[in-house]
Amino acid sequence: MQNLIEGAALVAAPDVLVAILASAIYGLVIGALPGLTATMATALLVPVTFYLSPIAAVATIITASAMAIFSGDIPGCLLRIPGTPASAAYTDEAYAMTRKGQAETALGICLWFSALGGIFGTLALMVVAPALAEIALSFSTFEYFWMALLGLMCATLVARSSPVKAIAAMLIGLLIACIGMENPAGTPRFTFGLSDLLGGVEVIPALVGVFAVAQVMRALLMPEPPPLPRRRFGSILAGQWGLTRRYPKQLMRGNTIGVIVGVLPGAGADMAAWISYATSKKFSKEQAKYGTGHPEGLVESGAANNSAVASSWVPALLFGIPGDTITAIAIGVLYMKGLNPGPTLFTENASSMYALYLIFILANIIMIPFGIMMIRTSTLVLRAPRAAVMPVILLLCAVGAYAIGNNPFAVLLVALFGCLGFVMERNGYPVAAMVLGIVMGSMVEQSFVSSLIKSDGSLLPFVERPISGLLAALTFTALLWPVGVWVVQRLRGRRLRPSGAAE
Amino acid sequence: MRLSDRVSGAALVALGGLAAWGGSRLPAVPGQDVGPAVFPMLIGFGLIACGLMIALGVGHAFEAPEEEGGGRSWWHGLWALLPPALLVLYMLLAERIGFLLMAAAMVLVVALAFGARLRLALPLAVLAPLAVHLVFYRLLRVPLPEGLLAAPW
Repeated sequence: MQNLIEGAALVAAPDVLVAILASAIYGLVIGALPGLTATMATALLVPVTFYLSPIAAVATIITASAMAIFSGDIPGCLLRIPGTPASAAYTDEAYAMTRKGQAETALGICLWFSALGGIFGTLALMVVAPALAEIALSFSTFEYFWMALLGLMCATLVARSSPVKAIAAMLIGLLIACIGMENPAGTPRFTFGLSDLLGGVEVIPALVGVFAVAQVMRALLMPEPPPLPRRRFGSILAGQWGLTRRYPKQLMRGNTIGVIVGVLPGAGADMAAWISYATSKKFSKEQAKYGTGHPEGLVESGAANNSAVASSWVPALLFGIPGDTITAIAIGVLYMKGLNPGPTLFTENASSMYALYLIFILANIIMIPFGIMMIRTSTLVLRAPRAAVMPVILLLCAVGAYAIGNNPFAVLLVALFGCLGFVMERNGYPVAAMVLGIVMGSMVEQSFVSSLIKSDGSLLPFVERPISGLLAALTFTALLWPVGVWVVQRLRGRRLRPSGAAE
Repeated sequence: MRLSDRVSGAALVALGGLAAWGGSRLPAVPGQDVGPAVFPMLIGFGLIACGLMIALGVGHAFEAPEEEGGGRSWWHGLWALLPPALLVLYMLLAERIGFLLMAAAMVLVVALAFGARLRLALPLAVLAPLAVHLVFYRLLRVPLPEGLLAAPW
């Protein structure tokens, strides 16, 4: 209780409140602009967080990411262009509702159920994280190794991409993490004699390059999205309570899937939305209506992606293992601010943790009024020409990269990662997997090598310890999952083909 | 730049080979079995395996069908190199000619590349660098190079 009050006092500080408000607006605007993702919004925020107090810094990241994940739904509804990848799963459904003249309801569902999902995810974070912290205290390097590896494997299961390419992308990330002398032996590796590379490749320039510069590059080759027809919106929240009463099961299922996917290291909001939309369709009584503007799937997946935003902080706070690309950034900020992730965070820094929960809840509550304002002004915001937005983004990339270490080399890194991200994305290699590889590379190696030293070179203890064995099993499931899917598809295809031929 | 899976797979095999080769040449740590060479070599072999599988088309069925960009000529794709090129220029020149001028030039070029009219691009090139300078230099105290033109604050 004492901690809760202290946490509330931390959040009530004026600089934190200002940070929450400012980053809420920032997140809503960036998320709503097609092509500017929630990850990009957070990555560009990092240089700013350098100069804020720890709680204010965490607050900007949380608020901006939660808002951006919601407001990515707006252009999805109105233009059929997802504002963030997490909205892509149900963009067609939302747009179909708009075409049926139910734009208000569709946007209202996205807003209302995003907020509900976010709050549920926060509650799950509050319950799950401290409980897991008890278990995590007994984790040794063996468990950490498997946790990190599991995170990497989950990151390769991203929807709609070849698992082989995803693993390759992850390996590229791990290889980049090898650069420098931050390895157990302290040997400079792949530095090519450049002193700038001795410290390794920083994550933030890589993220800014891959998610922001590459996006500007891609936008240069794409035609401008169609302007939004001016429209006046009716009541946004009308009928949402009715929908909540009508689809309580879907809401809870979406929330739960979001939490589970979020807690898994390496899998975040994007994956939660795809999975829950698919489950929703599978278990629905009105499957035929899906894709024609049916609210059921929207309810479920809209809640799922926002609850994943909160719960993906569980592995981040407990183990320093990112739940998704946004928390990969957040972990960097946590370290920078002296809130080093780890199970002891919940005992030693309990008041900061309560502050973090409160910020999440606050962010999801103010999402509703701010979201309504955003929807009402969206016709204006979405009219902002790309020619005005993109130059500013590129300028922010340059200044932000420079601001992190006052090192011009970081700007070069941003440019290089921009090119790399652009080429990878074009050829179907998921960049998120590479980013998580960069983030977790040194952790995987560190825990692997120190485990091997402890076990005198024997591999047996990696699977002998109970939790470590369980994590190993999960990791291999994630690795073999695509093979299973492929086999099932093959078998089913073979069964279908003869019957099809007989008809 | 859209490459066929064969090309990108072969590139991965080459990268993996280089990583494994470079890793194997790293000095071992005396008295320790697992030195700095192990990890790069594992990654290298992994990349070679993935590269081969990609080149052979394994896992292609999982990919979403890609939408074609239309019949643009190949040099149109070179436009994409403009942003990283500008970043490199920024790195090289910002110290000498100063943040404000460099940023203004960058914004102007990108805005024009996106098809902005001068009516939009010119005011943007003046206002955006000033605003960014104000936020980063005054509020966040990031040292931005002054160069030829210092900001009025």
